[in-house]
Amino acid sequence: PVVVPGGGNNIIVNPCQRGNPVLECIRNVGKEFGDILADYQVGRTTGVLFLSLRYHRLHPEYVHQRIEKLGHAYNLRILLLMCDVSEHQDPIRELTKICLINEITVMVAWNAEEAGYYLSTYKQFEHKPPDLIKERVDKDYHSVLRTALTSISKVNKTDVETLRTSFGSFAAVSRASSEQLQNLPGFGQVKAKRIQDAFNKPFRNSS
Amino acid sequence: MATLLPFHKNILEKIHDPATSELVLLARGLGLRRIICKLLQIYDSPQNLVLLVNATPEEEAAIGEELGIMGCRHPGLRIVGFETGRKDRQDLYKKGGLVSITSQIFTVDMLTSDIPTHLITGILVLHAERVTPTSAEAFIVRLYREKNKNGFLKAFSDQPEHITSGLSPLRTVMKELQLRTVHIYPRFHADIKESLDRKTPDIVELHQEMTEAMSEIHNAIVQCMSTTLSELKRANTMYDLDDLTIDNAYFRSFDMIVRRILDPVWHKVGPRTKQLVSDLATLRRLLTYLLTYDALAFHAYLETLIASNTTSESGNTRQHQSPWMLTDAANIIFQYAKRRCYVMSSASKAAPPKTIDLTGEDYEWAILEEMEAEERGRPSGSGNGKEKRKRWLPQGMEPVLEELPKWFLLADVLQEIEEEMIRREPMLSSLSPGTNTVLVMASSLHTCTLIKDFLATMDADAPRGSQGRRMMEDKLRLYLWWKGKLSERKAEGKGPIALPKGKDNAQDEISEALKRKDREKQDRAASRRRVRGGAPAPAALAQDLQLFTMDDDFDTHYGLLAPEQTVLVRPYSDDSDDQVLQEIKPRFIVMYEPNLEFIRRIEVYRNSNPGLGVRVYFMMYKLSCEEGKYLTGLRREKESFERLIKERGSMLMPIYEDRTTPAGEALIKTISTRIAGGRKEVSSEPARVVVDMREFRSSLPSLLHASGLLVLPLTLTVGDYILTPDICVERKSIPDLISSFNSGRLYTQCELMSAHYKQPILLIEFEEHKSFSLEAVADVKSFVKSNKYPPKKKADPRSDTASSAPQSIQSKLVLLTLTFPRVRIIWSSSPYATAEIFNDLKTLSAEPDPAKAVLVGAEEDPDAGAGVNAAAEELLRSLPGITAKNVKHVMSRVRSVRELCDLEMKDVQEILGVEPGKACWEFIHRGETRRGLSAS
Repeated sequence: PVVVPGGGNNIIVNPCQRGNPVLECIRNVGKEFGDILADYQVGRTTGVLFLSLRYHRLHPEYVHQRIEKLGHAYNLRILLLMCDVSEHQDPIRELTKICLINEITVMVAWNAEEAGYYLSTYKQFEHKPPDLIKERVDKDYHSVLRTALTSISKVNKTDVETLRTSFGSFAAVSRASSEQLQNLPGFGQVKAKRIQDAFNKPFRNSS
Repeated sequence: MATLLPFHKNILEKIHDPATSELVLLARGLGLRRIICKLLQIYDSPQNLVLLVNATPEEEAAIGEELGIMGCRHPGLRIVGFETGRKDRQDLYKKGGLVSITSQIFTVDMLTSDIPTHLITGILVLHAERVTPTSAEAFIVRLYREKNKNGFLKAFSDQPEHITSGLSPLRTVMKELQLRTVHIYPRFHADIKESLDRKTPDIVELHQEMTEAMSEIHNAIVQCMSTTLSELKRANTMYDLDDLTIDNAYFRSFDMIVRRILDPVWHKVGPRTKQLVSDLATLRRLLTYLLTYDALAFHAYLETLIASNTTSESGNTRQHQSPWMLTDAANIIFQYAKRRCYVMSSASKAAPPKTIDLTGEDYEWAILEEMEAEERGRPSGSGNGKEKRKRWLPQGMEPVLEELPKWFLLADVLQEIEEEMIRREPMLSSLSPGTNTVLVMASSLHTCTLIKDFLATMDADAPRGSQGRRMMEDKLRLYLWWKGKLSERKAEGKGPIALPKGKDNAQDEISEALKRKDREKQDRAASRRRVRGGAPAPAALAQDLQLFTMDDDFDTHYGLLAPEQTVLVRPYSDDSDDQVLQEIKPRFIVMYEPNLEFIRRIEVYRNSNPGLGVRVYFMMYKLSCEEGKYLTGLRREKESFERLIKERGSMLMPIYEDRTTPAGEALIKTISTRIAGGRKEVSSEPARVVVDMREFRSSLPSLLHASGLLVLPLTLTVGDYILTPDICVERKSIPDLISSFNSGRLYTQCELMSAHYKQPILLIEFEEHKSFSLEAVADVKSFVKSNKYPPKKKADPRSDTASSAPQSIQSKLVLLTLTFPRVRIIWSSSPYATAEIFNDLKTLSAEPDPAKAVLVGAEEDPDAGAGVNAAAEELLRSLPGITAKNVKHVMSRVRSVRELCDLEMKDVQEILGVEPGKACWEFIHRGETRRGLSAS
């Protein structure tokens, strides 16, 4: 029996996916069947179409129909490709183009296990803030210092080390003169200027 | 200046013509650099512009120097690197002459027409064996030939082995370089034979037997290797592994062979196979270490191996143990390796051999006392030192300290050389060439250090096999200390530490500084040899002492040194060895380890110095891998030359047709029905792609150019490739992808792309011939290894914090697409596929505007208008205690980061609150307070 889709914590699966081995591999999240446009609805605004390249080779028109039907239904539309043929170059190229036109993001998995992992991760990450892929500030002093100083463009890890050893502290770096900076190994005019700009120029130019 | 032998002249005669282009393959050690330098000298003129491509920095320097010696100094070879500004480069090209340039800069300059391509006289390509269809050199040649049909292109290589792998490899290299002639000069070429066989150096081959223990270990290692190899074959029956033989396994290139065979399926082979492959590398290393390391270092290395094998990083027992370690043969290795160092006497068997009672200060004092005692007791003879038991020796340990047989062989040889020198003395006039400096050549810096140590501390009167006793005892002491450290670490559950490298490093530094003058003195009169430059130092404390004494008598012993007493120990290097020979002009050379190239160098040296008698002592362990390696190396080189000659005979010479002009393609494009039925304006502009300058390190720009797109190199702030006014692509290779996910750079890049372009695209590019799968990624870095499916963490994602267990690359991708729903992903299995996809995407729309692309996202000038100082804001955000919420508040309170740094703790706390304020202030002033404390 087809259940009306709800907004809960389950992945909603299109009944046409029955028998897909990927279903077995969706772990740690609930699944329910429901009448949806996509194959898997892994979030309120995210819909996934599933396509195995082997199937695509036999029925090249299938995916076009599905894409057409999907239209602009979700905010994030995903085509989950299962790359299970060895001649993948041409179909992927063709699908990439179609997806670009139809504003669909392609994800490639190489086996059912991985595909299932993608699906469940999408559901789990539905409300997750992007902190994980943002610059992560580690807690210890050296990495904080490194992240801080490398945020200035042109400054690399080696330079951070040079700055730390020659000035001692962050505050001392902030007081360094342009000449002092330029005398350091690996520092040129541009880098020194960037550092000076970051430390000494006001945040907002009031003028 | 190096003289040219007849065969050098013959080669030069054939290739010097600036109208012809060719590839020259010369056997290693026959002086390729001389030929190149001579060639450059011939072409040196302000009217010419000759470019040298693909030279390493060392080669550039050496060639420049040699050219200087040969007399082209004004201006000689100029080197273009990253430091050279664009304007300077343009001027340099206009002035002409010889220029050495990196491939990347050369490509960009040709594309931007900074370099007048049609005026280039010619290009010399070194290391032609590295040219592949995707390499930068292929791109250079393509660009060069597009505009310049008359200039020459001469490619050189001395690595025939590299050109013989794959299908008709020579043809690939020739095709990519667009060459039709190849000259092959193996050692058995008639010209070369004639030149070199005229006068042969006097070679004394010394086949040293290994000690019994060594040959036992040697056999056991070889046995382990063959077991591992057959295991590997058994585990992978479906692949063609016939190339994997023991003979091949002696060479470093073996790993390459294995990777080449297994790369396409690398994600499918289990951890077991991977383990086996790395085991083979370990075993191969062991073989060389057995012959070059002293007994203690070898034993210590084995112990580290065991330690690292039985425990994983987290301290648990490892699952995939190396199978060879469990065999009987391995047991033999470990037993004998230990027995070479010391035996535990049976009396004390009951008591555990606790070795580290002396730690820290106590231990250092012990050394100091020891040293003092030795200093005082030296004149009275070293005999009493042997009688009395060393105090630092643990109970029940009887040191054996077997020495490497080559050591006393070397001592004998040096003795013989000395006698020979005295014998020859009356026959030599002051005019006869050559010096009495003895040149000892070894394979690595490590061996050189060891030999130096040995010669410096050698006790000439001791019986054979114990001449290096003093050095070995010093080493034993160091070893015992290290052993103590090792077990301490083990107790803490941490991984093993590396061997104490301090001493080696210090010595490396010294020998680096004194590279040219690292003379070692052999002071017979005092019956004691000294080393100049690197004194053996058993420990840091002892080193000071030793150095001090050395300074003391420096003048008496080192003021002026007769060349008779000089022994120079050097590792083998590249063509610069020729120069060393020419400068030193030794009559006696000791080859501590066999080296094919160096023998040829000696032959060349002998023949370019008529009247100079050279005697070479050639040392080799009998029936060892050293011998096998040397002979196989000889055979391999000969075979690859034969194969190349055969291939040259049957090669189909490609005919190079002109590339269709861009205009023609553009025309085809304009009549293409795909362009919306002519609705769009028909443009005859060639299809072009704007490419970020930094992307020229990858092979994609070259392939894009090959596929008929016009490549415009520019410095972009946002994106790597701009395909159309709307499409912006950020390319990530797999290692890039992982690192930029970790650093958070990818997030920022996607943010910027989304802000500036309608269709931001992330291109994930895999490598050609490598497995097209993210599974293989687990190999690239260790952190995505095991936690791919961490079930507990996944169960409730909201509860896991950012600092928790590492996430797999897949989940990060998921998060990326969720965060940026507009970012599309292109999955490309190789750069070739990418080029096709790009072409596909471009057929639809207008060409990108380079001027616009450059401006997009470019940093605003902080001085301009009511601007925002983004850099300062970013810096402020990264400080501890400052969050996205309070950053605005902070910015309204202080004007700049500098101002914040100058505040007192309570002021910062007032702005940020007590805890964050404290954290922030402490971070800012951390180094300072520390320094203040230590100073007070």
